[in-house]
Amino acid sequence: MNYTSRANNYPLYIRSVPTQNELKFHYTVHTSLDVVEEKISAVGKSLGDQRELYLGLLYPTEDYKVYGYVTNSKVKFVIVVDSSNTSLRDNEIRSMFRKLHNSFTDVMCNPFHNPGDQIQSKAFDGIVSGMMVQTG
Amino acid sequence: MSVPDYLQCAEDHQTVLVVVQPVGIVPEDQFFKIYKRIASVSQVSIRDSQRLLYIRYRHHYLPENNEWGDFQTHRKVVGLISITTCGPAKEWPQTAERFHGQKEVYSSTLYDSRLLVFGLQGEIAEQQRTDVAFYPSFEDCSDVEKRVEDFVESIFIVLESKRLDRATDKSGDKIPLLCVPFEKKDFVGLDTDSRHYKKRCQGRMRKHVGDLCLQAGMLQDALVHYHMAVELLRGVNDFLWLGAALEGLCSASVIFHYPGGTAGKTAGRKPSISQPADAGKRHRPGEHMILGALTANGISADTSTEIGRAKNCLSPEDIIEKYKEAISYYGKYKNAGVIELEACVKAVRVLAIQKRAREASEFLQNAVYINLGQLSEEEKIQRYSILSELYELIGFHRKSAFFKRVAAMQCVAPTIPEPGWRACYKLLLETLPGYSLSLDPKDFSKGTHRGWAAVQMRLLHELVYASRRMGNPGLSVRHLSFLLQTMLDFLSDQEKKEVTQSLENYTSKCPGGMEVITLPDGLKLPPVPFTKLPIVRSVKLLNLPVSLRPHKVKGLLGQNMSTASPFIYSPIIMHNRGEERCKKIDFQWVQGDVCEVQLMVYNPMPYELRVENMGLLTSGVEFESLPAALSLPAESGLYPVTLVGVPRTAGNITVNGYHTSVFGVTSDCLLEGLAGVKSSGCLVEVIPSLPRLQLSTSLPRSEHHLMKELSSTVSVQLFNGETQQLTITLENIGSEQIETLELTSKIVNTKEKVFGEFLSWELEEASSHLPLKPGQAVTLAVSIKVKLDFSGQESLLQDLNDDGISVTGLPISSPLRQVLKPRSETKPVSSESGKAEYSHVKTLEAVLNFKYSGGPGKVEGYYRELSLGVHVDVEPSVFFTRVSTLPATSTRQCHLLLDIFNPTEHELTVSAKNNQDLVLHASECQRMAIQVDKFDFESLPQPDQETARFTNPKQLEEERQHAQGCQINSKLGICWSIISFQCACCSVTMK
Repeated sequence: MNYTSRANNYPLYIRSVPTQNELKFHYTVHTSLDVVEEKISAVGKSLGDQRELYLGLLYPTEDYKVYGYVTNSKVKFVIVVDSSNTSLRDNEIRSMFRKLHNSFTDVMCNPFHNPGDQIQSKAFDGIVSGMMVQTG
Repeated sequence: MSVPDYLQCAEDHQTVLVVVQPVGIVPEDQFFKIYKRIASVSQVSIRDSQRLLYIRYRHHYLPENNEWGDFQTHRKVVGLISITTCGPAKEWPQTAERFHGQKEVYSSTLYDSRLLVFGLQGEIAEQQRTDVAFYPSFEDCSDVEKRVEDFVESIFIVLESKRLDRATDKSGDKIPLLCVPFEKKDFVGLDTDSRHYKKRCQGRMRKHVGDLCLQAGMLQDALVHYHMAVELLRGVNDFLWLGAALEGLCSASVIFHYPGGTAGKTAGRKPSISQPADAGKRHRPGEHMILGALTANGISADTSTEIGRAKNCLSPEDIIEKYKEAISYYGKYKNAGVIELEACVKAVRVLAIQKRAREASEFLQNAVYINLGQLSEEEKIQRYSILSELYELIGFHRKSAFFKRVAAMQCVAPTIPEPGWRACYKLLLETLPGYSLSLDPKDFSKGTHRGWAAVQMRLLHELVYASRRMGNPGLSVRHLSFLLQTMLDFLSDQEKKEVTQSLENYTSKCPGGMEVITLPDGLKLPPVPFTKLPIVRSVKLLNLPVSLRPHKVKGLLGQNMSTASPFIYSPIIMHNRGEERCKKIDFQWVQGDVCEVQLMVYNPMPYELRVENMGLLTSGVEFESLPAALSLPAESGLYPVTLVGVPRTAGNITVNGYHTSVFGVTSDCLLEGLAGVKSSGCLVEVIPSLPRLQLSTSLPRSEHHLMKELSSTVSVQLFNGETQQLTITLENIGSEQIETLELTSKIVNTKEKVFGEFLSWELEEASSHLPLKPGQAVTLAVSIKVKLDFSGQESLLQDLNDDGISVTGLPISSPLRQVLKPRSETKPVSSESGKAEYSHVKTLEAVLNFKYSGGPGKVEGYYRELSLGVHVDVEPSVFFTRVSTLPATSTRQCHLLLDIFNPTEHELTVSAKNNQDLVLHASECQRMAIQVDKFDFESLPQPDQETARFTNPKQLEEERQHAQGCQINSKLGICWSIISFQCACCSVTMK
């Protein structure tokens, strides 16, 4: 399971369990951005700001499912989950993203946080860890 | 069929395949020259029919793939062009034999063939043969294109006849079953009379006719046939052929919708030069339809069902749907993997044209999973590369980069006996844009980091490794430097250590420099200056030391007021809004003198950083930089570093940056490229050279600092009234002659009233030595006289004055004496009580200013100042505590009684004119009687009325007192000397 959130196409926060073979997830998430961008550009034209933030399943690979979520300020959240994990439905993923987004907003509200820096917030860490534990 | 053709696209379905091959030994370059000329005939308009025939040339085609020719006719080799060289005529039969052998390979499918013979002359060449053309040489073959066109026309005739033959064959009594190679054994023993079987035969034949129509340029007919085939085959669940029919339908529709082609620029069809100019124009959708209709009416008797033509054609959305369907049918057959893969590729190309990137990515994703069995390494590389290209085509740059990188890694897979590091490196370079990496460090110097650092770092490491294995350590160094410079923030301490270690390893073989590395394919790798090793925070140009600063002679009027405005103050300020760094600094450097620039640097590395050969980069004047080496402790704070250099010419100098050598990589760091560097300006005027003067004195230096700007200070301790000779040696240590020398003095920060001249000198003697050549010295004697008034010290006087008569202390005498040691040493530390109170020390300070000039700098009006501080501690000497007079024997004379007190701890002798010496012990008070002539103060010259009017009374009084003092002095001539000093040069002077 692997959570990342990012803006402007460089990572703000990356977390994965298990930690071995993390680079593989880096690649997975990095390439998923192609799809994210494609989706945003397609939606952006038609609906303007009425956009649904949740992008849904970006693409399935053999072992993982990659989900995406983009805030209005184009901060991207990507969640990669094991394909074998069937307990995670679309709704669960959606709520995970919402939680993540809320927590991210809190981080941004921190006056000492410099937007664009790597996120080093204990609260955010806690939320992410909580979700990871929950989903196993 | 095992080798997929990744370059296939939908419109290839309408081409006929012609193989061009060499026979015997043909030089490769010559072969490809001819091949190119042949390949330029890619479309031929057929006489009479106004149809276009497209030709696809291959110089290499597996006969195995040819066997799929019935399945999709564009896979069938219908033409063969052989190229051969033939010298003597007797070789000809052998060559002809070989040609026939080659024809045999494709004999089952071949419509026609040609042999181009080069070099053969003689009677054989005279023969007129349709299937053989003779050319004397590779250069002399102007009608190759014409020949090929003729050849293509002959192919067309065969094709057309086949098409007509098959299309009209409606009797249905014995339609052969077309099948693909792997199906053959499946149909053995099948009931050939069943309805099912017949339908299958019909369906497959329809599809085949559709293919032929498409190739023959009859798009609409092809569509009709394909539609029929789909219906027939769907009924009998013949999935493989159903897929083929659907794909045919798609291809025909794509050709109809996108006449420009889907293969992209490289394989795009351009109207060939040999074609008439209007050939390109003909190929338009509208016209095409009409043409198709016309020809259908003209030639084909069949395909009578004139269903609305446009209706047969699939809409762009349907094309994709049908492709999907076709691919899913292909997917049912393991042996049709290549067909499925190629279909995917074709569909992706179509989607790319339709700009439906996400659906295209789904097709590609599918293509990734198609298993083609055991692939050779080379095929794997090809496959990944093509995937990468396709992803690029649909705008998925990251995915594209990912696959390109996989392809690169495949080039050097451990299973390959001879890893292709060069190819790997080349592919890796191509992935750079996908990871938003450029190899120019400038792109990373501004703002936040771009791109995904973790994957970028990985890629850079791979580049380093690949370039090393390629045997190009220079490249490795460049990439490694780039990695270190741009990824510094993302490297862990351990990684930093590793990277620098390997960098040092590489540079020991090949030092890194600032030159641009140009790769064979033209890519330029810009140099990577280590601006972060160490990080420079501020740059400050330092003024010269005070004694060396040049001063401008302020002769000309308004030289300082040279600003354009006539106003002293104006709210409208002529702001110089230029770059701060360009601002000129308001001091000057001097040619030939060492100048300093101070950098504040810090080391971001977790270990000690050795910076070697650190110097300045300047422009404007000739500058000799004197490099420094420094060693910065781990994660040091700001650390000042002074870089020095000598300007060799005069003019304006700009400090552009600095150069360093770190880990064996030399870098030139320009300030303009550095972020976060504070600088107060980098432009300074260098004035022509000036001489330098060094000063040494006979007196010891002191730590006293009167003013900060003083170059040196001497200090001396004197008793009140003492005179001291100070010898100053001035040496010209510069390289210019000293032409002028001036000396001035100034007493600073004293409230004491000084009697007489404190410092006096004779400059004429020294001036006579001018001009002073370099290395020469001149001495100058300055005498220091201290005459201070100690009478103000009331505590002292109260003690001493028995009868309350206070005497205004007059400077009495002045022994000349060389001081041997500082007076403080001779003072007993624990002096008797009371004594200390009397030895109040007063200080007197003055500055001697030497102005000198010479050389070219003097011509420009500059001079230098050298100043010497003189610090004198004055101790009280003799006090006259009481003065009274007694009449003497002569009326013109009187006895002057002086109570003399010795506040020092030394024995004193006091003498006066015509009187014997009086010995005074320490702290002793004695009376001395001197017989003097009476005199009258009135006889003193009165200040004239003019001056009196302008000076205030107090001044007048002082002046008078001074004059009186002098009068008394000259009469009395009282001197004192201290006996205990060995060098008793207590020669007494009259005052």
